[in-house]
Amino acid sequence: MATIKINDLVKKFPVGKGHFTALNGINLNFDKGEFAGLVGPSGSGKTTLLNIIGSLDTPTTGSTIVLDKSISELSNKQAAKLRNKHIGFIFQTYNLLPVYTVFENVEFSLLLQKISAFERKKAVMMALEWVGLTDKAKSKPNMLSGGESQRVAIARSMVKKPEIVLADEPTANLDSKNSHHILQTMKKLNEELNVTFLFATHDEKVMQYLNRIVSLEDGKVVSDEIKT
Amino acid sequence: MLAIKLAFKNLIGAGLRTWLNVIVLSFAFVLIIFYNGMFDGWNRQGIKATIDWEIGQGQFWHPEYDKYDPYTIQDSHAPLSDQVKAEINKGNLTPILITQATLYPEGRVQSGILKGIDPKQNILNLPTADLINNQDEYAAIIGKRMAESTKLKVGDRVLVRWRDKNGTFDAREIQIASIFRCDVPSADNGQMYMSLPVLQKMTNMEGEATLIVTGENYSGAEIENWNFKDLNFLLSDLDKIIQSKKIGSYIMEGLLLIIALLAIFDTQVLSIFRRQKEIGTYIALGLTRSQVVGIFTVEGGAHSILAALLGAVYGIPIFIWLDTVGITFGGPDMGITVAETIYPYYSVGLIISTLILVVVSATIVSYIPSRKISKMKPTEALKGKLQ
Repeated sequence: MATIKINDLVKKFPVGKGHFTALNGINLNFDKGEFAGLVGPSGSGKTTLLNIIGSLDTPTTGSTIVLDKSISELSNKQAAKLRNKHIGFIFQTYNLLPVYTVFENVEFSLLLQKISAFERKKAVMMALEWVGLTDKAKSKPNMLSGGESQRVAIARSMVKKPEIVLADEPTANLDSKNSHHILQTMKKLNEELNVTFLFATHDEKVMQYLNRIVSLEDGKVVSDEIKT
Repeated sequence: MLAIKLAFKNLIGAGLRTWLNVIVLSFAFVLIIFYNGMFDGWNRQGIKATIDWEIGQGQFWHPEYDKYDPYTIQDSHAPLSDQVKAEINKGNLTPILITQATLYPEGRVQSGILKGIDPKQNILNLPTADLINNQDEYAAIIGKRMAESTKLKVGDRVLVRWRDKNGTFDAREIQIASIFRCDVPSADNGQMYMSLPVLQKMTNMEGEATLIVTGENYSGAEIENWNFKDLNFLLSDLDKIIQSKKIGSYIMEGLLLIIALLAIFDTQVLSIFRRQKEIGTYIALGLTRSQVVGIFTVEGGAHSILAALLGAVYGIPIFIWLDTVGITFGGPDMGITVAETIYPYYSVGLIISTLILVVVSATIVSYIPSRKISKMKPTEALKGKLQ
């Protein structure tokens, strides 16, 4: 059973009086536990596809079914619930909330789920342990290095134990050592928790870790390679 | 609850920007309460002074008498009934006879009002006992304003001319027995108080009066052929003056509030402009756009809560101090009923209504720019792109 099913997906953005086609007839399925990547040059549609899967955007035509829910048919509230409970996001620029501590950043998604303080604390500390940052729980994001910030972002995406994690260029702002550390952490979580990881990247280092590489070019899938 | 928790967290995290807004808003807060407290204090003291010095607990007027029409005075007098006399003897009523007069202090000509009042009365604060203590039967007490305008001192004699019941002019010298100080100009300016029996004799109006002042213990029974004027009627002039002064203070308060609210509005606009990535992150983490609007609105509105707390920190000691020492305006000659020293009065209603006003208006100005979030594309917001 596919976790993500994409059929004839088209996404167009208005540009002036016309429009720009970012995705053109995408057909893809991703199964549970995949460690897959959307690769391609800038403007190929990787982030757009990731955003649609993450219910941050909607298709112009075609369907995107995520965890048996059609993204284009979800209300704002339903989409927010889907993101909160089932989808984790990791961004290139970490997007940590600056006024919160590491602990509070990781805790944020759980606050929305109305989980008890005790359970939240347990879950947050476990997530920080996964990424090796328990000692930074009280630090503010501006006190962290780039690698540490991205590890906090990983902990934040994983703390709610989502089915899917969407990572948009997660290593773009990191050096090689940190990139490998981050990728190893994500790979480990993928294997241990059987979470589907989907990357948008053009980083060779990331591709080394992927089990499946979907290449996009001008909004179309040009290859879909599964590593054995 | 979550919105409030997050909003306060963000607000405190914003540091100096927050505190600058909070300080400005707290000034508005404290000044609004201060101004209103001043007017309430003035109002309360003014009402008390007017009751104590001029109107008592209400007055019975001769049907012809019109306070604002001096031509009615000549015919506004009538004998007092036995029922009234009995109440006067009990100290529940005191009659006043009024007649117009012309004063000639040091050869100058000044118009005035002669008021005959029972020297033994205890209803009004006027020091009428001084009329008995004076050796000269034709004695009068006057207020400080009257003394200043006529340049009369205690013991001076002044020539006074009046008309009796039949319209015949008469004149004689009257000695100033004492000069009193009161905060009610209408009980002072142009007024000269004499013993009632003496004035009755001077005007050939024995046993008559123009109006009857009621005391606290008066039963409230109507008096035949006399019109009762209650406190609402008698204090309406003071009310009108205070209301007109309040309009000026409302403008001042409004300006203060607008300055503070503009600062919040400006902060909100800047905040939404600068924190797009944060807004996108909130949405990505599972908040709906309306929840994010809620956070930003509460965040802006929470300025007012912090302002109230900050205002309380320095405002309460200031208010307590002002309540003890009062505010002195220099003298009783402002032409309106105002105490020389006003003690502001801060009611619970005033504080709550000010709190509601500031919180509601701060929340509204926070909501207006926050609505923009509901139209933002989260994908663009996540990149921090200006929308």
